[in-house]
Amino acid sequence: MIKLENVTKSYSTEVTALRDASFDVAKAEFVFLVGPSGSGKSTLLRLMNRQEKPEKGAVWVAGRNINDMPDTKVPHLRRNIGNIFQDYKLLSNKTVFENVAFALEVIGRPKHVIRQQVPAVLDLVGLAGKQERFPHQLSGGEQQRVSIARAFVNRPLILLADEPTGNLDPTTGEGIMRLLDRINKTGTTVVMATHDQRIVNMMRKRVIQLDRGIIVRDQARGVYE
Amino acid sequence: MFSRLSYTFREMWASLRRNLTLTVAAVITSSVSLLLFGLTLLIQRGFDNQLSQWSGGVELIVYIENDASPEQIELVRGALEKTPDVIDTSKLEYLDIAQSLVEAQRLFAGDPETLQLLTEKNIPTQFKVVPTPDATPELLTQLALGFDELPKVIQVAFPSDQIEVLATLRGFIGLRLYLITGFLLLSAVLLIWNTIRTAMFARRREIEVMKLVGATNWFIRLPFMLEGLLQGLVGGVVASGAMLLFNANWTSGVKKFPSESGFGAFVVTGSYPMWIVFWIVVLGMLVGAIGSGTAASRFLDV
Repeated sequence: MIKLENVTKSYSTEVTALRDASFDVAKAEFVFLVGPSGSGKSTLLRLMNRQEKPEKGAVWVAGRNINDMPDTKVPHLRRNIGNIFQDYKLLSNKTVFENVAFALEVIGRPKHVIRQQVPAVLDLVGLAGKQERFPHQLSGGEQQRVSIARAFVNRPLILLADEPTGNLDPTTGEGIMRLLDRINKTGTTVVMATHDQRIVNMMRKRVIQLDRGIIVRDQARGVYE
Repeated sequence: MFSRLSYTFREMWASLRRNLTLTVAAVITSSVSLLLFGLTLLIQRGFDNQLSQWSGGVELIVYIENDASPEQIELVRGALEKTPDVIDTSKLEYLDIAQSLVEAQRLFAGDPETLQLLTEKNIPTQFKVVPTPDATPELLTQLALGFDELPKVIQVAFPSDQIEVLATLRGFIGLRLYLITGFLLLSAVLLIWNTIRTAMFARRREIEVMKLVGATNWFIRLPFMLEGLLQGLVGGVVASGAMLLFNANWTSGVKKFPSESGFGAFVVTGSYPMWIVFWIVVLGMLVGAIGSGTAASRFLDV
């Protein structure tokens, strides 16, 4: 599903965010990217949805080299990739329903599809009955669930999660992980950047460890070290 | 398709309401500059009406009686063409009754009483004479004295000093008004540009989410571009209304001036004001499109 070949990315001549990174992620796989702040986890995620382009190497997503992809095709690539963030990135002036519907609306899905899919995905993430609330009326965990619903409502092939439990207490974080695991089991590939040791050790999924932009470990059913 | 359209217009409207103060400022600036553009065209047209007799380098007009026969007219033409070293015969123009009436309608647009007196039965026809580059005013005056003697010639007229002053004034005022209009239009473009930039900055989080979920750049840009276009359009409509009101007030005011004041021709009637309205609105939309289009493309990476 995702393949990186000798990818190098620098933000300036002094800062190399990623150095010669190569790995494959299979369909329906769950992968943790671990490492300290500044190790290149977020850069990797940004390369996978073409928010960034590498200086060297190639990034393949769903069989296409996305570095060579013309800019006009990028929106279509992103419709197959859901994004989850530590700060949720919810729109404060929109209700839960509107936040999730927004993802479908801006890619031109018809109203009847939106009316059908949004309640279904809100039900999946455990927010049925809260669709008229605004983000500030929800807890952190609930806000992250809205963010996951928005990322998953279009049934993407891949979910990219950047520290999704970073702002949550341990119990709430576990709930979010259970939800991501459930989504993963529907066949969606999940790549999650985290430095939450407890969660990585609890899930026992594949772990790719980065240190100053270099992949230092790639371990199936790994733990945080 | 319908959902995309409804989204675009809904977002455009919401953004206009959110940035009301800046929107009003942009509309006022564009309408003032467009009004000045419209008034410049009106003033220029007023001058053109006044100078219409003497346009194209005409320096001599030979007026002929309304009832002159074709042979008598040809006699005058023959006399004029006899001096090709003084008169540019290729530019010699004869205005018949119908053409003279059309010209009179421009000249006396603000003086309906005089205009009413001129009919097909009494309006003189005329030869418009353009001298050659080598012809001196003295030579032309000398020649004109001879034309006075020809049968059915009523009068040989030269442009008065007043006309020379008007022609100079037209160039002086026109150029400066167009320059001021240009600067004001530029400020309208920049203000609309800034309004759109502010609107995009206020919605940067929304734009970021839109890009991440796969909205195309055009889908994101379109509401902002339409917002600018609408600001320009409203500015154009306001300016058009003000210009038409000004023209109506001026036209009715000029009628009260005495005929000999010379202001009779400084009135613009007929379809010309609507032609100006068309260009004001088109220019307004262009100003809006340029301002918003450049901003929406430049600041999409928020």
